[in-house]
Amino acid sequence: MPGTPYPKEQMHRITYTKLSERQIADKLSTVAASGPMSVSPLSDVFAGKSIRIVTDKGPALTYTFGRNNRLSMTENGGGAVEAGYGALTLGNVAFFSHMIPGTQRGYAMVIDQDKNLATVFELWFSGYEDNREVQREIHYGYVEQPGQEAPKARHVTTNRIEGKGFYWKQDTGAETLEFYPSASYSNFVELSRLGGELGFCAPSDYIKINDDLYVYTRTECEFSGTFTMYVMDLNRVEQVGARLGFDASDALEYYVFRGKGEWLGQLAQFEKFGDENGAPVPAAPAGQTPAKGARRVYRPLKTMAKMSKADVDAAVAKRATAFPAAPPGVVPNGPGAQMGANRGPSTGWLSGKSFTLRYDTAPAMEYRVDDAENLNWRKQGDSGWTRARYQAWESAPGVILFGHLLEGAPNHDGHSIVVDFHQGLVTCFNGYLNTPYFANEAGVKIVFGVIEMEGLIPPKYNRHQFTDEMVGRAVSQNYAPGLTSMHLYTTLHSLSWIIFTDADAGGLEWSGPAAYVKIRDGLFFMYWLEEACNGTLGTILVNLHTMRDVGVGYSCGPNGLSMSAVGAHERLAGQFDIKRFYQVKTSGGAA
Amino acid sequence: MTNDANSTRRSFLKSGALLAVPLAATVPAAVMADEGLKARLARLEDEAAIRQLHQTWLRRINTRADDTTREGDATTQLFADPKGAAFDQSVRSIAADHTGQPDAIEVAADGKSAAGRFQCAVEIETMITQDCTLARMAHAQGGGFVRRTERRLLKVEYVKDSGGWAIAKVEFALV
Repeated sequence: MPGTPYPKEQMHRITYTKLSERQIADKLSTVAASGPMSVSPLSDVFAGKSIRIVTDKGPALTYTFGRNNRLSMTENGGGAVEAGYGALTLGNVAFFSHMIPGTQRGYAMVIDQDKNLATVFELWFSGYEDNREVQREIHYGYVEQPGQEAPKARHVTTNRIEGKGFYWKQDTGAETLEFYPSASYSNFVELSRLGGELGFCAPSDYIKINDDLYVYTRTECEFSGTFTMYVMDLNRVEQVGARLGFDASDALEYYVFRGKGEWLGQLAQFEKFGDENGAPVPAAPAGQTPAKGARRVYRPLKTMAKMSKADVDAAVAKRATAFPAAPPGVVPNGPGAQMGANRGPSTGWLSGKSFTLRYDTAPAMEYRVDDAENLNWRKQGDSGWTRARYQAWESAPGVILFGHLLEGAPNHDGHSIVVDFHQGLVTCFNGYLNTPYFANEAGVKIVFGVIEMEGLIPPKYNRHQFTDEMVGRAVSQNYAPGLTSMHLYTTLHSLSWIIFTDADAGGLEWSGPAAYVKIRDGLFFMYWLEEACNGTLGTILVNLHTMRDVGVGYSCGPNGLSMSAVGAHERLAGQFDIKRFYQVKTSGGAA
Repeated sequence: MTNDANSTRRSFLKSGALLAVPLAATVPAAVMADEGLKARLARLEDEAAIRQLHQTWLRRINTRADDTTREGDATTQLFADPKGAAFDQSVRSIAADHTGQPDAIEVAADGKSAAGRFQCAVEIETMITQDCTLARMAHAQGGGFVRRTERRLLKVEYVKDSGGWAIAKVEFALV
C-alpha cells in the first residue's frame, strides 16, 4: 500500500558511507560515457555546433556537439575527450552538463544565448575529506564569437534571491519546498523523497543572469554531499538543472531535470538598501586566498562533542548549573549566557506560592516557591522536596515561563514550563539526556496539563494545542549586541536559524526538529532541538504583540549540564504560504 | 611647552617671516636671536617627527600591519621598548576626532621626551564568546565580533634616542 515515503532515518541521522575514490570512479564511469539521465526530452540546441567558452580565471573549454547527446571537448587546449551530455533550455538560456570520462570531474554550463555569457560550474568528487561531497568552482565567462569583441559583462553573484521561496516539482516527480532566506545558504524540504517532516540546510550559490533568471546551487554538506543546481525563471516559475551525487544507498544520481513550481512568498531582507552583494560570507578568512572550490560550510556534526551515557553522567555530576547569578543588567557567565542578554526582567510573581502542575501524560509536579530564584519541587507521591534554582518571566499578563533542572532525575531532566494562570493551563517541554544517537543530545517530551492552585479552577477538557500558525513565518531575534539570527518555521516539525553577517545579510544556516504550541493569540511556545549539531534544546515563548521572546536553553557538554535564559527582541520578517503542503491527505503522500 | 600642533605651520611661517628681517640689531642680540631660532627650529623638527611617527603608528594600527605583514613587529618597531607596544587588541581603528580639541604635542625642555594628546574616535571590536550555537556560527562565517565607536583621548609618551623619536607609552583615556 503506497503511503507517505517517510525515511527510515532522517538525513541528519543517516550514516553515509565513506566512499572511496575507486568506488566513486567506478560508479561514474558509465554515466560519463552516456551522459546524465533525463525524464524530459533533451534539447538539441547544441547539436552539430562547436563553441569555445572562455572564463576569466578558469579554463577555456572547446566543445563540438554531435548527435545523440555526444560531445567532444578540450580543456585549455589539451587533448580532446568524448562524453555524453544532456542539455535543456529555459527561454534563451541553454543548460548542459557532462562528466569527463576517466576522471571524477565534470561540468555544468549555463549559457545566456542572448548575450553569449557563460557561467561554468566545474564539479568534482574526492576534493574534501568525505569523497562523496561534490565540490564546485564557479567560473564566469563568455562564449567566443568569431570576429566579435569579448563581452565585458558577466553573470554575477547576487542577494536578489534572498528571501524568496518556491515549491518545485521536477519532471522526475520529486517535490520540494525550497527557501532562500540567506545569501549563502538555503533550506529545502523534501516533500516526496522524505515525507516533508523536516527542513534541511545547505551551502548555496545565487547567481544573476538577468532580472528574471537566476542560478541556484546547493551542496548537501554534512549529509549525502549531493549537488543540485538549476536555472530558474522567477516569473514563469520554471527551472532546468542537474543533480549529481550519491543517495543514502550510495546509488549515483546524475540527471538533468525540468521543473515547474509555485511562488510561496518573499521574506524581508535586512541589508542596507542598495546592497546587492552576493558574497556576504567570504570563502576564506581575511587576508587569505581561497582554495579552489572553497566556501564557508557549517559542519556542526563534525565539531560536536559526542558523549556516552557514562560521559554525560560524569559531566553532570561534576557540574550542573541553572541561571547563574549575576548583578542586575550584567550578562551572567556560562554556556549560552549571551542568548539571554535581551531577556528582559524576570518576575517574582511565583514567590511564596504553592501549586501543582497536573500533566495529562506525566506525573504531576508539586511546587513550593521560596522566592524569585529558588523553588522546591517534587513529583506527586514523593515525600521529599528538592530545591532548585529557577527564573521566570511574565511574557503576557498571567502567562509565565519558568524553568528548572530536576536534580537526581536519571536522565538529568530539565523543565521549561509555560503556565497560564488566567486559563489554568500548563505546557511543559521536558528536556532530557541519554538519547539514542549521542547521550549529550537533548530530547524532549511535550506534556500538557492544568494548574491546581488555591483560588483557581482549571478547565476539565481545554488544553494548549499544537498549532501550524507559525509555519512559514520568519522572525528575527536579536539576543545580544552582534548576536542576531532569524528563525524560519519551515515545517510543522522543524525550524531553521539563519545567522546574519556584519552587513545584515543572511549567512550560515542550520535547522533542527521543532514544535509549536499556541498559548494565546499571538503567543506561541516552541522548541527546537539542535540534533547532530550540539544537542541543545532551545525553548522560547514568542510574543508577537510585544515582539519579544523569553525562554530557556538546556544543554549538556563536557563541561556539564546547564540551563540558561534566552531572550531576544524580534522582528517579523515575512511569511511563506506553505501550511497547505502539510495537511494530512486522505491518501497518498505528504504533498 | 605646549604647542597646538595644528597651528605650528602658522608659527613656522611667522618664524620664517622673522628670518627674513634684515640684520640690523647688534651682534650679541643677533646671536641670541640665532640661538632662539635654532631652538625653535629644533622644536619644530621634533614636533614634525613626532607627528610623522604618530601618523605611521596610526596607519599600522588601522591597517593591522602586524597581521598583514605576518611579521608581528611592524608596530613594535615604532616603540622604544617592544614591551610598550602591547596594545589593546580590541581596537580596530583610530580616527582623528575633528569635533574635539586640536592635537597637542609637548616637547620637553631638554628635547629628550615629549607627550602627545590626540582626540580620536576609536573603533573597538569585542569578540563574542563562542558559548552558543549562534556565536559559533557567527565565527564560522568570519564574524562574531561586536564593533562600536567611542570618543577617546589618546595620550602618547615619546622618547628620543640616537635613532630618533620612538613611542614610549600609549594610553587611552575616556573623554
